[in-house]
Amino acid sequence: MNNTFNNNNTGNGNDMNTKQQPHITETFIQKIFAHLDNQDVSKLNNFLQLFSNNSNGKIIINGQRSNDAMSFLTLWSQQIVSTQHSITSIDYHLIPGSGTVLCNIGAKVRFDESGRDKNGQDAVIRNNQNQNQNQLNQNRNRQFWGSYFGVSLQLILDDRIYRNDLNGVINSFNYTIINKPDDSLIEL
Amino acid sequence: MNNFHNVNNIGMVAQQQNMQNRIKIGVRNWQNATMQDLLNFISRNARVTLSNASIEGPLIVGYVQSKDQADSIMKWNGANFAGNKLKFELLDGQGGTSNTIEFLRQFIINRYDPQTKMLNLGGLAQDPILIQKGMFNNLSTQSRMFPAMMKVASKEPQLIVESVNLADNKLKDINVVSSLPQSFPNLKNLCLANNQIMRLNSLESWKNKFKNLRELLMTNNPITSNNSYRSEMLRVFPKLAILDNVMVRDAAKLDSIFNFPIKLQQFYFENDQLGQSSTDFVTNFLNFWDSDRSQLLNLYSPQSQFSVSANTSVPASTIKDADQNASFGYYLPHSRNIAKMSSEKSIEQRLAIGQEQINTLFQSLPKTKHALLNDPNGYSMETIAYPQVNGYMVILHGYFEETDKPDIVPNSKTTSRGKRFGSHTPANNRLCKKSFDRIWVIVPMNNTFVVASDELTVRSYTSNTWSQPAAPALVAPAATPSAVPVGIPTAPMNNMTAMNPGLVQGGVPALAPTLQLPPDVQARLTPVQLELLNKLHLQTKLNAEYSYMLAEQSGWNYDNALKAFQASVQNLPREAFIQ
Repeated sequence: MNNTFNNNNTGNGNDMNTKQQPHITETFIQKIFAHLDNQDVSKLNNFLQLFSNNSNGKIIINGQRSNDAMSFLTLWSQQIVSTQHSITSIDYHLIPGSGTVLCNIGAKVRFDESGRDKNGQDAVIRNNQNQNQNQLNQNRNRQFWGSYFGVSLQLILDDRIYRNDLNGVINSFNYTIINKPDDSLIEL
Repeated sequence: MNNFHNVNNIGMVAQQQNMQNRIKIGVRNWQNATMQDLLNFISRNARVTLSNASIEGPLIVGYVQSKDQADSIMKWNGANFAGNKLKFELLDGQGGTSNTIEFLRQFIINRYDPQTKMLNLGGLAQDPILIQKGMFNNLSTQSRMFPAMMKVASKEPQLIVESVNLADNKLKDINVVSSLPQSFPNLKNLCLANNQIMRLNSLESWKNKFKNLRELLMTNNPITSNNSYRSEMLRVFPKLAILDNVMVRDAAKLDSIFNFPIKLQQFYFENDQLGQSSTDFVTNFLNFWDSDRSQLLNLYSPQSQFSVSANTSVPASTIKDADQNASFGYYLPHSRNIAKMSSEKSIEQRLAIGQEQINTLFQSLPKTKHALLNDPNGYSMETIAYPQVNGYMVILHGYFEETDKPDIVPNSKTTSRGKRFGSHTPANNRLCKKSFDRIWVIVPMNNTFVVASDELTVRSYTSNTWSQPAAPALVAPAATPSAVPVGIPTAPMNNMTAMNPGLVQGGVPALAPTLQLPPDVQARLTPVQLELLNKLHLQTKLNAEYSYMLAEQSGWNYDNALKAFQASVQNLPREAFIQ
């Protein structure tokens, strides 16, 4: 159908990219999850750059709106233990005339249940500072993954992602944990 | 009631008595003859009838009426029958066990303190009642009695146990009480003081089992003198904060590590008007989706898009009610899950554009029933403005029941493919309950609106996170009844009464977030009643249902209600309280 073809090319008009669209979409979503799973605080800025900073940009986590990308990413990196996401489904529509693409994503996520935060610090009260340091270094990168939670993520992205422009392309980010394993230590 | 009935009742009671006293017997090595031959043999020789006999594997199982009969039948152990030596065994004598269970039940209730929510199982060997009953005479009866107690206790819903005392029980390890986490998974305090627990790894089987254990007392056990004792206990109990009266973990840090910092809310609406109109939209849409999908087509324009993606990943088995074996046979031929596809052609083909294609895809999906009105807690919704299309995005998470196969089922044209992948077997097309996530992009246009985009993800059914007791789901922001929804008129849905599940009308007193009333119940109550209900709820920590029951049964009088609560608090089930 000609219609199909035209729709998918709105604001784009590049044949090669049309064919590449599913792959670019998937790769970009993988990139987002890699950022979420990243423990390295110094790379936070790379993630931040993906979010649109105009007033239309919205981040909603578990049905609660976050003020802006910065405060969300700060919260994510400082108050959430290490995560490991894995994508289970992706579907997307280019919305004609809007210059945007709407993605509906299913994923699963598990949390580091070792009792340590992303910096490797735990809640144990120690009398001896040396012992503290030793243990920290020993266990720094050892995660104990719990069972998988279910995640549903909706994104509104600028179609500039298909022209290799990733700056501020995330307009809306709606992340919801939809199911929870009973044996997880993490409380929602 | 006439006398005949009474006579009958007495007869029944007597019969029940008989049933309770009867003893279950198993017989082995009878295989060379029929069951009837064996029954005849027993009745001829032992002068006992084995009633209700049946074959269970290698055994013939039946009942005798009394202990005497059982004794006399046991004397025939080893008797020759059809070339084999018969072997009789007593299977769990029902009468005896049920008495013991009742005894243990009473014992446990006596040992429970509802004020402190503590079950005191300390010093059982010194308990005069147990000694009299001979229950803790030796190791073997002890080892059987503890698990039995745990099991009985876990079946008593009125026991809300936060603390268990197992001090002074001469325990060398936790083997006999190892089932404690199954009975009380949410235990907060545990005392094992004054036992003989010695080995460091003796609590290993409890590792990660008590997810909420905050305090452990092990004083006067040899294990406490071990150098690694503290670190070992920290390892086994991930949320342990106090060990032998000493702080071992920082409670605040512990909370920040194990609590997801953004609490789940069932609804997010960018503003109240959006909440009202999107709830109306979803309710009406799903009504037609369940009854007659073709009626929905006038919401779609020639440029509108619809696609369905099957998320076939199997949910973790520890997720409550998770369907580990869902069938996606009807969805897979249409699934546009690009994470699982490599062919660009299929990805393009499986996107339905315009009414005609959308209609075909609608008819290719199984018929469904959503329970938005009956079970509003089964659904969660977000509504977000979508300025680039001058419209809105409505996201609904929930579940549906598949009620019938699709109108259009892939026919012989596609069987070559079907056969190759074996995708059209009855098992793959089994109808079942499914969970889903669906997004609609809604664009207001000329006094009506268009669904610009519609993406449905179907996945295995699981319980959800937002309605679980741990996460108090907030009631949606109250929409002011006077506000006329602008932007999204619900016009195309003619003669449908606007329903708004989960939405409360404006002008009511602020209710505690944990007090969730069904909208229809709330609508019937006066503000004064609501306020009383709220006060009761906060005072008693009863959940909405029980708060309401209490208020109603006390004639909506606060003082009477509190008195009634205090009188019955010990008999209330665990579910009665805010979880």
